[in-house]
Amino acid sequence: MRRGSVLSLVAIGIVAGAIATAVAVFLPWLPTPASREAGRIDFVIWFVIGISIFVFAVVIAALLYSIVRFRAAPDDESDGPPIHGHTKLEIVWTLIPTLLVTAIGVVSAVVLAQNDALGKDVLRVNVTAQQFAWSFSYPDSGNLTSATLRLPKGRSVLLTLHTKDVIHSFWVPEFGQKQDTVPGLTTTVHITPDRLGTFPVICTELCGLGHALMRSTAVVMQPAAFQKWIAGQTKATNSPNPATAGQAVFTNNGCANCHTLKAAGATGKVGPDLDKLVQEAKQAGQPLAAFVKQSITDPSAYVAPGYPDHIMPSTFGSALSSQQLDALVSYLVSSSKKG
Amino acid sequence: MTATTVHHEAHTQVPTPPGGAWRMLYRAGWIRAAWMAPAFGAIGLGIVTVLRWWGGWHPILDTAPDVLVGLLVSAPIGFLAGIGTFDYWAYYATGRPTRPEDHSSHGARSWKDYFRVNTDHKVIGVQYMVTTFFFFLAGGMLALLLRAELASPGVQYVDPQTFNGLFSVHASLMIFLFIVPVFAGIANFVVPLMLGAPDMAFPRLNALSFWLLPVAGVMMLGSFLVPGGAFACGWTGYVPLCSTHQPLGAVFFNQGVQWAGASSIMTALNFLVTIITMRAPGMTFWRMPLLVWANFTTSLLVVVATPFIAGSQFFSMFDHVMHTAFFNTAQGGYPLGYQHIFWFYSHPAVYIMILPGFGIMSEVISVFSRKPVFGYRLMALSLMAIVVLGFSVWAHHMFVSGMASWLRVPMMITTLLIAVPTGIKIFSWLATMWEGKLHFKTPMLFALGFLSMFVIGGLSGVMLGSVPIDIHMSDTYFIVAHIHYVLFGGSVFTIFAGLYYWFPKVTGRMYDEKLGKLHFWLTFVGFNLTFFPMHILGTEGMPRRVADYAPKFADLNMFVSLASFALGASTLVFLYNMITSWRNGEPAGDNPWRAMTLEWQVTSPPPIFNFDELPQVVGSPYEFGVPGAKHAILSPSRAKTLEEVGV
Repeated sequence: MRRGSVLSLVAIGIVAGAIATAVAVFLPWLPTPASREAGRIDFVIWFVIGISIFVFAVVIAALLYSIVRFRAAPDDESDGPPIHGHTKLEIVWTLIPTLLVTAIGVVSAVVLAQNDALGKDVLRVNVTAQQFAWSFSYPDSGNLTSATLRLPKGRSVLLTLHTKDVIHSFWVPEFGQKQDTVPGLTTTVHITPDRLGTFPVICTELCGLGHALMRSTAVVMQPAAFQKWIAGQTKATNSPNPATAGQAVFTNNGCANCHTLKAAGATGKVGPDLDKLVQEAKQAGQPLAAFVKQSITDPSAYVAPGYPDHIMPSTFGSALSSQQLDALVSYLVSSSKKG
Repeated sequence: MTATTVHHEAHTQVPTPPGGAWRMLYRAGWIRAAWMAPAFGAIGLGIVTVLRWWGGWHPILDTAPDVLVGLLVSAPIGFLAGIGTFDYWAYYATGRPTRPEDHSSHGARSWKDYFRVNTDHKVIGVQYMVTTFFFFLAGGMLALLLRAELASPGVQYVDPQTFNGLFSVHASLMIFLFIVPVFAGIANFVVPLMLGAPDMAFPRLNALSFWLLPVAGVMMLGSFLVPGGAFACGWTGYVPLCSTHQPLGAVFFNQGVQWAGASSIMTALNFLVTIITMRAPGMTFWRMPLLVWANFTTSLLVVVATPFIAGSQFFSMFDHVMHTAFFNTAQGGYPLGYQHIFWFYSHPAVYIMILPGFGIMSEVISVFSRKPVFGYRLMALSLMAIVVLGFSVWAHHMFVSGMASWLRVPMMITTLLIAVPTGIKIFSWLATMWEGKLHFKTPMLFALGFLSMFVIGGLSGVMLGSVPIDIHMSDTYFIVAHIHYVLFGGSVFTIFAGLYYWFPKVTGRMYDEKLGKLHFWLTFVGFNLTFFPMHILGTEGMPRRVADYAPKFADLNMFVSLASFALGASTLVFLYNMITSWRNGEPAGDNPWRAMTLEWQVTSPPPIFNFDELPQVVGSPYEFGVPGAKHAILSPSRAKTLEEVGV
């Protein structure tokens, strides 16, 4: 090979690599990590992207150089030189990719092991998935249940996942980690939040018609604020005042994700407006309290016109204790009468 | 060159049986299919109804899926019997006289011959290509509907059931009714010619393989019409969503996959036997064109892997219809078992969808570079390496599934290693072009487009092979981007390259080069604008298979949707080019590309039994630039005579 062609080949490679690098660096690829695990995953991603840019540049350089340099004139009917192979070259392009993927494999395995290793003083959270809602409970705090995932910053968290129906998948993009929930199996995922903020919880495994709407929120708080929240919620749930207890059930079970209710500051638009329960009950021809209870425990019994069936989970009847259910019904009845 | 041979007299005169118009009802063809399909359907329905009545259920009313299964199994058999795919075997089985050298169903003399059961591999090849292209257009339309809905957040045009049905049927059609079978179609036309064989080993089985396809395709499209809508659990059909929470349409998917799968197994067996036993004298394995190698290795994959998806869909359907408990946890089943069985087919299926494309690339790049394929033997061996490794990587689709966690690292290692034989192929193609005489005809442009796009798809595949990265990317739009770079930028580009490359051979006419180039550039640009931004959507956190998404993804999604419409429109250029060129294109001549493989040494279109006499293969198919080198002597006995008289 002539020296000039080596130079132009390298030049094309550098330009191609630079363009690819610019695409990698200047486009908004990854969310800012909010967990130590996501930070390590990002490291692996950039490591592999670096190798990829190198390989991409080599291929594109050879391709573009050939296109420009070896273009035949339209009337040129001659053949190229009969080169059938080159053993050394073939060994080289077998060995180098092998080494590169081995490096990727080693880095990945190490990061995987680090990400799965639990820290000290692990906070355990049970995650329950169902069509189409998340609920989170804290076994160390009397199984306090919440529809939003609240976590203290800097503490190792082990999420234990269950599903009541089909396969779902728990993912917070900023946490990096993802795990399916499988009927009949217990799966776990480990997260160490390291940045304060509010992040989306997304279901990433197709789970039915409401899959796109199966979202919740993860909030990373200062440890002290987290403890305060735990204490406050525990107090509200056990409150003798049905309105306080009912509101706690309402917020902790994710009703606000889909429904509007002024009293709770809920503005969901997926399901019927709960401030209009009085009219709905009239339309269904039932007494208000009985109507509300039936709509929670057996949502398919009466489906409000204009709303699809099977979006509202049918499992609240069994998930809530009868005390919680009564508190929720009386809370909804009283707040809808006011509204 | 004449159209007939010494041994094969084409019986153009089918003896017309005596009798009036009633005979039409009994003759193989569309009329008989039109009454036999419903008749068989009724028999199937009847059997299920009687069984249900006997078992004490309400025969029809209370649950519909199992009644439907009877219909979906038996009506297609009626159709296939009516159209005539079983006629010869039925004669044979009932002891009636058969004519071993009956070629009345061989070859095409008018366009009508493409609409009946035909045993000519070239006719079947065209039937395959045209039919699968119809399903490509149908699947593409579904994709455009999806992109219309996704252009802005929230739900605009379709309800969730329809939306989920759209992406499920889109993927199923593209995979089972386009990419897998269109390669079988191209190979059907080309492989026997390349081998120097008069036809495939089992022409009647070949015809049956083709006629199973429209059955499968109509079944999948038809699922939109049944009450409750199409199957809506994705082409992966994960249980328990697909076995317990689905409308009737799910059964159409379970069954459609069976018909398409049976078709591909039969074709693969046919290719294996043809390639192993029907090579012309002198055609050793190391003298086979790489397209033949590619179809040989693909067929190995199909034969071993496809029964697994058949099993997974039967089990899933039994859980749905008969309440068995293969995957039903409540009764002791194991939902992840489905995923293992499914991916044990569906990962090798990725190679089933790309290896034939690799074969096309080797032909096109070598011919349009006027150079031998670089490292021919390593090219063939790397195909074999992909076959072997391809069976050991399936669980990389399940890194976040909750499967045994120790399985992740071994599966990551095999997944990463499969990049090595793939890399060898890419580098060898580049080396084939090096110092060549490059002619940038449309097939070559698609080949170069393939090289650049497949490198991106391959590298994003290596990224996804790494467990920690996969944990972040799983089930996001990054996956959607990756699979389209591999299957569209990869497979579909090779398909277009192949269709343009062999168009003159198939039709005897040349396509319009300007329109071909326009088609390439529109596709290449449209493809990148559509699918590249999806990488970003995915890494940022947009999950796949959703109709509604967070507002921050709105701009990019609008951009992707607009680009996808342009990409869809580019196909119209291709269609126009194919149709007008087939009707009025310039006569192409026998060998417009000056290629050395055998299919280019016969007329365009090739004669009905391909060769007057078995050719004698004397060398490699890629000896470009070697003075006096020959791949084969076409009429060995004539050549010998000429030699004797001293010509």
